Amino acid sequence: MIRKKSVESKLLVQNEKKRSKGVSQWNIAWRRFKKNRAALAGALIVGFVIFLAAFDVLIAPFHPNATPGFYIGETRSPPSLKYLFGTDYIGKDVFSQVVYGARSALFVGFASAAIAMSLAILVGLISGYYGGIIDNVLMRITEIFLVIPFLLILLVFLKVITAISPSGGGLSMVVLMIGLFSWAADARIIRGEVLRVKESEFIEASKSLGASKRRIVFRHIFPNVLHIIIVLTTLMIASAILVEAAISFLGFGDAAAITWGQQLQKANEAVKEAWWEGVFPGLFITLLVLGFSLLGNGLRDALDPRLRE
Amino acid sequence: MTTKEILKIENLKTYFNTWAGIVKAVDGINLDVKEGETLGLVGESGSGKSVTALSILGIVPRPGKIIDGRILFKGENLLEKTESELQKVRGKEIGYIFQDPATSLNPVLSVANQLTEVIIRHQNVTKREALEKAIELFKLVEIPDPELKIWNFPHQLSGGMKQRMAVARALSCQPSLLLADEPTTNLDVTIQAQILQLMKTLKEKLSMAMILITHDMGVVAEVADRITVIYAGRVCETADTRTIFYKPRHPYTVALLTAVPSLALRKEELAVIPGAIPNLIDPPSGCRFHPRCKYAKAACAKEIPPLKEIEPGHFVACIRASELDIKSPLGA
Repeated sequence: MIRKKSVESKLLVQNEKKRSKGVSQWNIAWRRFKKNRAALAGALIVGFVIFLAAFDVLIAPFHPNATPGFYIGETRSPPSLKYLFGTDYIGKDVFSQVVYGARSALFVGFASAAIAMSLAILVGLISGYYGGIIDNVLMRITEIFLVIPFLLILLVFLKVITAISPSGGGLSMVVLMIGLFSWAADARIIRGEVLRVKESEFIEASKSLGASKRRIVFRHIFPNVLHIIIVLTTLMIASAILVEAAISFLGFGDAAAITWGQQLQKANEAVKEAWWEGVFPGLFITLLVLGFSLLGNGLRDALDPRLRE
Repeated sequence: MTTKEILKIENLKTYFNTWAGIVKAVDGINLDVKEGETLGLVGESGSGKSVTALSILGIVPRPGKIIDGRILFKGENLLEKTESELQKVRGKEIGYIFQDPATSLNPVLSVANQLTEVIIRHQNVTKREALEKAIELFKLVEIPDPELKIWNFPHQLSGGMKQRMAVARALSCQPSLLLADEPTTNLDVTIQAQILQLMKTLKEKLSMAMILITHDMGVVAEVADRITVIYAGRVCETADTRTIFYKPRHPYTVALLTAVPSLALRKEELAVIPGAIPNLIDPPSGCRFHPRCKYAKAACAKEIPPLKEIEPGHFVACIRASELDIKSPLGA
């Protein structure tokens, strides 16, 4: 009897705890995300690469620019226990370069996405909420960015910049360029979402309660389009990494930077003799991009309010 | 009457400039609300009830625009105020309750968040104090265990709870006027009664005036002190509730009363008003109700009937008001 009572009271306490915490839409999304295996795999891959980048000094056996194989004739030697992914043409350890490349890849992904998404969010919110002439002007500018051939203009810009100043700004310049040229499509998506949300009655309600325009945009509309922004950001990270790899592969990137794209470019000349030079960095690019894409898709499924069970 | 008017609307015109033409949603409405009184604003869907209320706060959605008239609130014309001055009136001096509690609350912010936001905006208090006030408000609107419920998100609350929360939010700064735009239409009948009762008690407690917008004659009979009947953007009749129900003088008011389904009247068939509410881009000339009015004669189509006081406090806009002897369907 007494025992039963204590169990009951325990349950009551648990219930109380559960109730005292509001279940936000984020909690629901997280519950749904946990059930999605592909999304978890994506998160795992991204986590793995972040781990590599964080502990690169400890994981990599050599400095990425060291040439341990050069004086002992171990150039372009195949994968072995000493060189997990083999060595390149001057005896650099490919594995160490891949490990150090993780940091560059993440830097390129996150920094480009940060620039691009900031622009996209700003343009999308302002254009969608204020409408009228502001919307018209901003959308025409967006369209200009949408129609220019993105990769081509990037290459031209980078070439011009290196021509003006030979140091060129390095990887940061590449990141800046990617960021500045890839916000347009996302700005339009965010604008569309803002247009939908701003017609909601709760926006009218907060107006009726004396909220200022800025408050409505950032406090009421922004959190309601955040789910879209999160998804677009993960996908933007993936595409930025790919674009950087492409730029580097084509020889327009920062040759001094240690990136997977640069490795690919250098491996290009010896695909037949030394496949390991290109295959491993290529594999990691694919893996990381896949990881972010899976994560993005998983987040979209988890955050989409229409898919509520 | 000796009591002061808290709100007086004179000749308000709110038009919507659409691609199809100018929609005259509100076309010269006059009404007034006295301190502490409840005014029922009654009319069919699309008659301009909500637009009138939104005009008072100056938040008519685009492409709507107030083009003429005066809205005197505590003697000041709201139409002459700037946007930032209006923002200080909204929510603080005038509260607004929307029709659908499911959509008038922000789904991604917790209830506490949405309540304290208003309190902080209009009162000089810290976050903690605002939270305490919010919990007080929850007690006021009779939400059980407010300390816990306040952390919930809108989707965790039932429809009735949500509307209580919306009422709490509208009352958070103790406004002197409350605009309630069909606050019970989307609730089921038992909850409707609860919310109405709640609003009635709160109105007494906080001694505020209220405009209750509805198309439900039963609801106004329950709550309102006076009633203004509007049709197609114009006022038909204004009088105290008893007079509207038992001695209506405008044919449209009578038609509305006849259309109320009632067990007491034991009608065999539901009465309907023939025809539909007119197109407000090109409204009928003269009296806007004349195409649907069974008492209409030629003159009704020619001149716009002025709103005349036929008895003290009883205003009617019908040129035949004095000659017609219409009986209320409810009897005398």
